[in-house]
Amino acid sequence: MIVEIIINHIPYLLDGLWVAIQLLVCLLAIGFVFGLLLALAEIYGHWTLRAFGMAFERVFRGIPELVLILMCFYGVGNWFPIEPFPAAVLALGLRSTAYQSQIFRGVIQAVPKGQIAAARAIGMSGVQAVRYVVLPQALRQMPGPWSNEFSSELKATSLAYVIGVVELTRQGRYIISSTQGNILIVFAVVALMYFVVNWLGNRVLYRAERALEIPGLERRESD
Amino acid sequence: MMPRYLIAAVTAGLVSTSMAQAQDAYVAGVEASFPPWAYVEEGEFKGIAIDAMRAIAEDQGLDVEFRDMPWPSLVPALAQGRIDLLVTGLNVTPERAEVLDFSIPWWENDDEILVASDSGKNMIDVLCCGATIGAQGGATQYQWLEENLVNREGVDVTLRGYEDYVVAIEDMLAGRTDAVVTSTDTAEEFISNGRPVTIVGTIQQNQPQALAVQEGDPNELLASLNRGILNIYASGQWEEIVHEYSPQASIRAIPTAMPDYVDSYQEPIPGYSE
Repeated sequence: MIVEIIINHIPYLLDGLWVAIQLLVCLLAIGFVFGLLLALAEIYGHWTLRAFGMAFERVFRGIPELVLILMCFYGVGNWFPIEPFPAAVLALGLRSTAYQSQIFRGVIQAVPKGQIAAARAIGMSGVQAVRYVVLPQALRQMPGPWSNEFSSELKATSLAYVIGVVELTRQGRYIISSTQGNILIVFAVVALMYFVVNWLGNRVLYRAERALEIPGLERRESD
Repeated sequence: MMPRYLIAAVTAGLVSTSMAQAQDAYVAGVEASFPPWAYVEEGEFKGIAIDAMRAIAEDQGLDVEFRDMPWPSLVPALAQGRIDLLVTGLNVTPERAEVLDFSIPWWENDDEILVASDSGKNMIDVLCCGATIGAQGGATQYQWLEENLVNREGVDVTLRGYEDYVVAIEDMLAGRTDAVVTSTDTAEEFISNGRPVTIVGTIQQNQPQALAVQEGDPNELLASLNRGILNIYASGQWEEIVHEYSPQASIRAIPTAMPDYVDSYQEPIPGYSE
């Protein structure tokens, strides 16, 4: 009987999954753009920018996601009314910015410093050296460490239900409350859906990692 | 380059969601995990409070959209004006009367003591002497248990708070609590859904329930709500809705008893006293 109920509810669970995926794409995009800017500021910026970057990163890595979401919706919402979905994107996006900035910082700093010196020696400006020499090499090393961030943020989207975003977890709870039970089986189905998305996403990222790897750089230890 | 495309995508996403939700309809906060009052089935809001609100909205020409939020968020969201009204099985209490304004009460509830059917426990076993009781955190039942059992010398019970009653029942069936105290209609809902629970006692509360709006009624909704409640009661629509979800429930005269601790009931009530 519950199997039948779950089958009938699959479209709504998929709806919820779609909301979760939209949330994920938006927050990762925010984190990608601002994370990159933050990393560049932290590495190459004036000391004030470096201090700002450090402070931002410490604060947003140091607060639980759930608290950030509630603060964004109720705190920020006090002065500037913000809908639940953008509030969740903003809260999780800022947190992802902090984490992604560290991934960017790692891959940028993994490019040997001599390359900038070499680029400057052939007449490039500092900006050009970063843009045309450092970043292309650094970004090709992103997918590996970035897959961690992808997985962890997908799971974090499930927290958005606390401010009224009806995503996959909330859709699951609807079935539980309308049938007054079946917690285990419903959440098993929900878990499977998260798992599949996570697995597919990671497969894509692994493939990207292999396609983007710099010949001769990653495989040094196996040579 | 990639980032520019992504910024465009994000902005488009944010703008389109906020535009889609920015309209003139009043936003009614519901906790959609509270059958028979408010829940979601196959993507649709259902329940006594939901259907009654739809009927009131139609009667009064209001445009209302529902937004689901977890129970602990609802009253703060209303107090902050993030939602315009609260539509659920909301109990009228002195604390809540201070942060929001109630409509005339449309229902009265008692509390039921539920135990696992196969536990063989009676109400003394589960309300005293080392027992553990579950209730929804922040609910009137939780407060009542805290004031009358937990804080009383010599009773010795442990109270556990849950996000909703489904998990409270589940935890009891797993043997981690001895009893769950919940309102009459929630208890009956569990039993009619075939959950193996039994009512071993009733705590007579005559607890009124109502709709609520923001303190001070800034949108001037109360008069419409009260008039709507009286109209659907008079037309028999209310009885029909209640019996659709709760066939055995007895319909009480609306408004039910209006407690003294709600100041706004002592003054002329918009839509009712005029």
